[in-house]
Amino acid sequence: MSLLEITDLRGGYGPSMVLHGISLSVDEGEIVVVLGANGAGKTTTMRAISGLISSKGAITLDGRSISGLHPDKVVGAGISLVPQGRGTFAKLSVEDNLQVGAAKRRDRAGVKDDLEQWYEVFPRLAERKKQPAGTLSGGEQQMLAIARALMNRPRLLLCDEPSLGLAPIVVREVFALLTRINTEQKTAMLIVEQNAQLALEIASRAYVLETGTVVTEGTAASLRDSDAVRRAYLGY
Amino acid sequence: MQLFLEYLFDGISNGAIYAALALALVMVFRGTGTINFAQGEMALFTTYIAWGLTTKNVPIILCLLIATGAGFVLGAVTERVLIRPIERKSLLATLIVLLGLFLALNSLDGILWGNENYTMASLFPNKVSSFVSVGGARLYWANLGLWILVAVIVGAMFQLFNHTRLGLHMRATASNRESASLSGIAVGRILMLGWGFSAAIGAVAGILLTPLSPDSLGVGEMFPILIQASAAALLGGLDSPGGAVIAGLMLGVVEALLSGYVSVIGGQLEEAIAFVAIVLVLLVRPQGLFGSKEVERV
Repeated sequence: MSLLEITDLRGGYGPSMVLHGISLSVDEGEIVVVLGANGAGKTTTMRAISGLISSKGAITLDGRSISGLHPDKVVGAGISLVPQGRGTFAKLSVEDNLQVGAAKRRDRAGVKDDLEQWYEVFPRLAERKKQPAGTLSGGEQQMLAIARALMNRPRLLLCDEPSLGLAPIVVREVFALLTRINTEQKTAMLIVEQNAQLALEIASRAYVLETGTVVTEGTAASLRDSDAVRRAYLGY
Repeated sequence: MQLFLEYLFDGISNGAIYAALALALVMVFRGTGTINFAQGEMALFTTYIAWGLTTKNVPIILCLLIATGAGFVLGAVTERVLIRPIERKSLLATLIVLLGLFLALNSLDGILWGNENYTMASLFPNKVSSFVSVGGARLYWANLGLWILVAVIVGAMFQLFNHTRLGLHMRATASNRESASLSGIAVGRILMLGWGFSAAIGAVAGILLTPLSPDSLGVGEMFPILIQASAAALLGGLDSPGGAVIAGLMLGVVEALLSGYVSVIGGQLEEAIAFVAIVLVLLVRPQGLFGSKEVERV
């Protein structure tokens, strides 16, 4: 059984439907990437899983249905989303941002340990822990958003366009950190990304979306080698 | 000197009330993004409840607690029942609903308690002789008690905001509601609590204000106060609790001194001071004295 199992997901914003029956799955400890052009429904899929928009179809985590849950309950179930645009609490300090990420947790000591742990992984956040988060650079805010989501100790981390607006060298850094976290913590990840080449390097499997449906799926390696995918999404 | 001090004491008392209500307005604004037009009427409604209890010989301190609790429930229920279903649709709709609540509560007061004015008993010794002399001026216990109680409430709210988990979640929700819910905060519950706290503060303010002058409890009591409190909230910066408190005090003192020393203003033009403040703030510094422009790098 997969960790996350989505079957025939349909949904959108009010009367305009964006998703027309998407099915995908993520296994325990796996990195899966979702590719697709603008408007294909990638972000909408993430928002539906997180409970930000209502949707039809089945979403299960460990076999238990999570569809229709409020976003905070989805977080409680073990899924954290790093939203597109990072969702920084601009006026709160870096440390407060991370504390907010632990909203669902009751174990103070564990939260403190995790803070230390993520400060080690993201040393630049440690240097700036008292600073308002809005003053961080884009790359630092992306790191903060990832660390904030991890404070929940999620079993599945959703990342929506982690490379958006970042310099290529920073993008590499972010992806390296995601890989490291996946290896060390065994956190499963579902990553939406436009930078297909880089994403396919760290993922084990991938789905390609087009106008709200899955048009191609397979191992990352097989998609890298597919001429159709390369022409359409990798641009070479 | 003596006159100046008496004006000043009055000003601080009014200012403390403006400050408390402005703080309540800011708490709602930060969570919901609207000025709660019904804030004053909620306070008036709970003040009537407290007054009604005092006429039944309930001890005044108990009246205060009951009315504050009633205010909390009134605020929380308003958020849950009236605001939450509407606010997703539009900000304007929310404002209209709050205006409606303003009128409804005001009329309800009239139906329940009539259009007469009443004098309310004070929490503090309130005789003509209950004062201490400060520099020749009379500082009444009622004023001093009011200052202390408002200071305690404001202090408690800041403690809550800045040093508790609930306060952190409130600040996070005010900063970015979607991101707060994605971090696992039950945003609806936080907003409901915010409305509850804000109406509870209003309830205390109403019970402190009303006994200061005789015959002041009436259906028209709170509207002018709400205007002053809104001016203070705007002056301080709608998203700044500290700014609201400071601006409330400033407004109260300036108003008392101006109406004391400038006879044209005294008695008739006091409310104009608030409107002048509102217009000036909007023209010169729309984010208020302590409010922030959005800082966000992307």
